[in-house]
Formats: sequence, C-alpha cells, structure tokens
Amino acid sequence: MTLPKSKSTPESAVEKKPIPWHIVFFLGPALLIYLTFSVYPLLDTLILSLYDEQKGQSSFVGLQNFITLISDDNWSSAFWNALANNFQFFIIHMLVQNPIGLLLAVLLSSPKLRFSGSYRTFIFMPTMLSVVIIGFVWQLLLSPIWGISENFLYHLGLDHYFDAWLGKESSALITLSFISVWQFVGIPMMLIYATLLNIPDDIVDASVVDGANPMQTFWYIKLPLILPTIAMVSILTFVANFNAFELIYAVKGALAGPNFSTDLMGTFFYRTFFGFQLQEGSATMGAAVATLMFLIILVGIMLFLFFVQRRIQRFQF
Amino acid sequence: MASVKLDNIQKRFGDVQVLHGIDLDIKDGEFVVLIGESGCGKSTLLRLLSGLEEITEGDLHIDGQRVNHQSPAQRGIAMVFQSYALYPHMSVYKNMAFGLKIAGQDKQAVKLKVEEAAKKLKIDHLLERLPRELSGGQRQRVAIGRAIVRDPKVFLFDEPLSNLDASLRVKTRVELGKLHQELNATIVYVTHDQVEAMTLGDKIVVMNQGRIEQAGTPLSLYHHPKTEFVAGFIGSPKMNFISAQVTSIESDSVQLMLESGPTIRAAIDGQTLKLADKVKLGVRPEHFVLATDEENQFQGRVSLVENLGELAYVYVNTGQNAESDIVIKLDGDCQYQAGDSIRFAVAAADTYLFDKAGMALPRLNKA
Repeated sequence: MTLPKSKSTPESAVEKKPIPWHIVFFLGPALLIYLTFSVYPLLDTLILSLYDEQKGQSSFVGLQNFITLISDDNWSSAFWNALANNFQFFIIHMLVQNPIGLLLAVLLSSPKLRFSGSYRTFIFMPTMLSVVIIGFVWQLLLSPIWGISENFLYHLGLDHYFDAWLGKESSALITLSFISVWQFVGIPMMLIYATLLNIPDDIVDASVVDGANPMQTFWYIKLPLILPTIAMVSILTFVANFNAFELIYAVKGALAGPNFSTDLMGTFFYRTFFGFQLQEGSATMGAAVATLMFLIILVGIMLFLFFVQRRIQRFQF
Repeated sequence: MASVKLDNIQKRFGDVQVLHGIDLDIKDGEFVVLIGESGCGKSTLLRLLSGLEEITEGDLHIDGQRVNHQSPAQRGIAMVFQSYALYPHMSVYKNMAFGLKIAGQDKQAVKLKVEEAAKKLKIDHLLERLPRELSGGQRQRVAIGRAIVRDPKVFLFDEPLSNLDASLRVKTRVELGKLHQELNATIVYVTHDQVEAMTLGDKIVVMNQGRIEQAGTPLSLYHHPKTEFVAGFIGSPKMNFISAQVTSIESDSVQLMLESGPTIRAAIDGQTLKLADKVKLGVRPEHFVLATDEENQFQGRVSLVENLGELAYVYVNTGQNAESDIVIKLDGDCQYQAGDSIRFAVAAADTYLFDKAGMALPRLNKA
C-alpha cells in the first residue's frame, strides 16, 4: 500500500529541484578561463590548419597542409628531420635522465648519506634556472675558443677527447640533450625520492628479515612500489621533450644548426609560423605543424594510458 | 627451535644510552613477553635480537652460537611487525613465499610450505588476494604466516595486536596462545598491554628506562613484584599506593599509620625497616573487601563508580590528606553511588609494602 506513495516522491522531487546556481557560480569562472585560453585557441589552431592563406584570401583546403608537410619536397625533409631529432632527444632523456634521476633518488634516500639535504638542493638548482641562462652558460663552457672545458679536460689528462661538440652535426643534438638532462634530472629525482620516502620502514625491514640483500630489497620491494612514479616521470618527459624549444633556440637559434641537425618540432614550428630570415612565415602551415605536435603527444599519451597505466596500480601503505 | 641468551646487551644511539646491559636467558620453546612503557627500550631490544639494529656491546647467543654480526636471515629469526608490513604489491601467496624464494628454495617445496602454513592459519582461501583486499585480522594472519613458513628458530612479535579492534584482539590473543602450544616455538613478544603479557607469557620481562626491572612468571610478578614500578605495571586497574609511616615492627607483621588516618597491619617482613620510616603501602583493587569487623579498616566517600556489570570499580576519597582516590573492585550488583560513605578493609596478607627507594619488602604468608 505504500508503493504509490514512494513512487510519487522522486517525481515531485525532480519537479521541485531548482537550478543548481551554486554549481554554476563555483565552476563558471574557471570554466570560462579554461575555454577562453585553452580550448578556443586549440580549436582555432585545428581549424586554421585546414585553410590556406594567399595574399589575404583564406580558403578551405582540407588536409592539404598536412599532405604538403609530410610529402612535399620543400617541406617533408625538414619535417621528418625535426621529428626524428625529437625522438632522439626523447630517447636520450629516457635512457639517461630518468635512470640517473632514479639512481640519485635511491642514493639520497639512503639513511647513511650525510648532507643529503644539500645534495638535493644542488642537484635541483639548475631546474629552477631559466633554460635560456642554462643554454648560454653551457655555450660558454663548451666553447672551443674561450670555454673552460678544454682546459678542464687537459688537467684530467683527457684533452685529446675535447671537440667542438656543439658545432658538429654528429654531436650537437646529443650535446644539447645532455645539457637538458643535466638541467632537468632534478625533477625525476625529486618525484622518485618523495615516493621512496613514502615506503614505510617496516616493509623494508620485513624484507631484510626475510633475508633479502639491499639489491634484492630494491629490485623486489622498492622498484615495484615506485613504478607508478617512474611511469608518470616518463610521460612528463615525453610531453616536455616534444614541446621543447627554448634550449635549442637559446644555444643554436631558430635555424637549429649546424645544418638543422638540432632541429626539433618546436624550432621547426617557430620557423614555419613566424618565418625566419629568407623563409616566409605562414600561419596556416604553422597551425598544421602545431596540430601535428598536438597529435603526436596525444597519441603518445593514449598509447601510454592504454598499455602502461592500466596495468600499473598504486599502492596504499 | 632454539634457546636465546643475552649477555650484558647494550645499545647506544650516538651519546644516548638506550639499553644499559640486558641479561636474559630464554629457554627453548619459551614464550617471553617484554613489557614496559613506551620508550623503555623494549622495541629496541627486539630489533637488536632481530639483527635490524647493531648491538653496541654485549653478546647475543642463539642456540649457543654468537650471532652479534649475523644478518636476520642467518640468525634464523622471523618477525611480525605492528603494522604487519606486508608487501602491498604482492599477493598473500607471494608475501608468504618471499623469504623462501630469496633463500633459493625449490618452487614445489615453497608451494607445499606456504599451503601448509596457510591451512594452519585458515587463510588458504585468500592466497591470491592482495593485502589491501584483506581485513585487519586477515593481514595479521598473513604476517604470522610469513613468519611460520620460514620455520625460524625464534619468532619475534612487535606489538602484533595493537592495530586490531578490541574483540578481534582477544580472539587473536587466544589463537596466538594456541599457536605457541602447537608450534612449541621460542617466542619473544613485545607489548605494552599487561593483559597480553599475563595471558600469553611463560615469562614476563618488565623493562623500565633501558633496564630489566624484573623477570619472572606472570604469577610471581603479580604476587612478588620486586619494585613499586613492577607492582604498578602488573594488574589492572593499577595497584593503589598509599603513603604511610612505620609505627611498630613485629616478627610477623608491620604496623603502619596512614597519612589519611587509619592504622594498618601488613604481613610484611620488616626487619630492614626502622620506626617512623616513610613507606608506601600497596593494595590491589581486587583485594579490598567491604568492611565487616575486620582489622585494617578504611573509610571514605565514593567519588565515582564505574560499573562494568559483572564488577564495579569504586573510586573512594579517604580524606583531605589522601594523595588520590583509592580504587576498589566490588561486585557489579553493589549499590554505591557517588557521595555515599563507604567502609572497606584489606587482609594483612594481601598487602604490599615498598620502601622509600621503591623497593618491595618481602611478603609473608604468600607462597
């Protein structure tokens, strides 16, 4: 007998429900800012990349800009070169920056290490400096004319290994990658260090009691527990590397010399969009490059989420 | 299974001396409970036994072998932590098998051992679960299981029940007692809960400020505490301590005058006392009886009644000079209420006496 009554209650509740103005009020400002400064420019760029602009006349060309980018004789070699360089840049970071960051974090978290606070600060310091300053400083350090590197190596007896690393096609990109690694190694270190500190001492003690030596404790206990952080660091590295621009621009300029050997997607985009020296700027081609960068990062993140993130579980202690 | 011998074990952290020479013999198969207030060094002592901390001075023997510089695994100990310390990324099975796997044991043998231990602890249906999918009591069992599979010489327990809720704690306590009988294992168990100590221990070691205050069977500690500290620690609620002055000394008893008035006869060997010495009379709440015409009468006013149903703790203010309320344990059906006046007494044989330094005087008439 109570059934009709209980049935009518939700209906009347729905009718009487007022518009949730408070939600609009709280979400509105942030949403507005997000839409204006993030979503609108992104959509506008995507749309712009589908147009061509000749002498002030803009016309819809579909995917023609993208086809030009990846197949046209004038464009494609520069584009593929930048993309390949960018992958090399990323791989060097993954193979050098993140393992070193992990190693430093493990060393820092050792309770036997003295002055760990100072080390932490010093290693993290370059990260806080401007990329432009870092680029300038390293350019001076490595300069074969007035740089101190040659002299430094001479005193170590290694001077015959010295070379104009930044000036050679074969070594310029690797050198720039190492400079970037040097600057940003503090970020993976800090993130992994924080996670390591979060592992309760009891768990490590338990593994020691179970007979594990320090290497086994690291391999079987600590590493699985910091894996989620390492995955996150990897994705941050990926995004940062494919958006990299300042370091190349500061050290090598927009031409990313010698002979475009340090050209990344960022510098390639800069020349395309704004133009540089003899090259004329094109907003629509620039938008096409920007769209491709966006898609590359999007695909990368989606692959990561699909293949890695789903399998990784975070642990509560 | 093995015996453990501690010989003048000391521990310093920098300049801070935490343990001041611990001597202790633990027999094969004995259940020893280390008890004391927090910071007394009981957990540190357990970590020294385990090998997680280095011994600063002294010798530790397990099974007659000096093990000071051996790793925990070499010593053949297993430890159950207060937080259980299960590896969160491993299933229950892997948690239990980890030690055996590290030791390089054959997979089939590991499987047999883990399954046997799991069956014993009734967690064999949980083997594929992760620790976070278990309840507190189940995690506790897994932690114990992880210790059992390694078949250690000595089990170390670091306050294993303190993270469980009250009813589960009682249940697990009983199971631990049974497990000890079943395994016949040498166990060192740290706790601050005197009920756990009394019920589980073959031997209780009361620690205070880095020293062993007294070690003995639960009943010997209850009946013959060597110091005021031990007397206050064993038994719940705490023993009442009442300041008094010696008024006469006889061969079978000592007469005392309490600061709050009454005269009390205590069956204590008072040969070492002098007249007018300041002493402390100790009486356990359960030894007070409602006064009839017996000697050793107290009177006062009830300030609070805590009735637990089967019994009641009555807090009595015995006058202006009394330092604190005296706690009396009475039947739950007693009718006292706050403000009532009450007369109660204690038998001379049920008293304890402590000198000014807090050392107990020998009790007469108590085996």
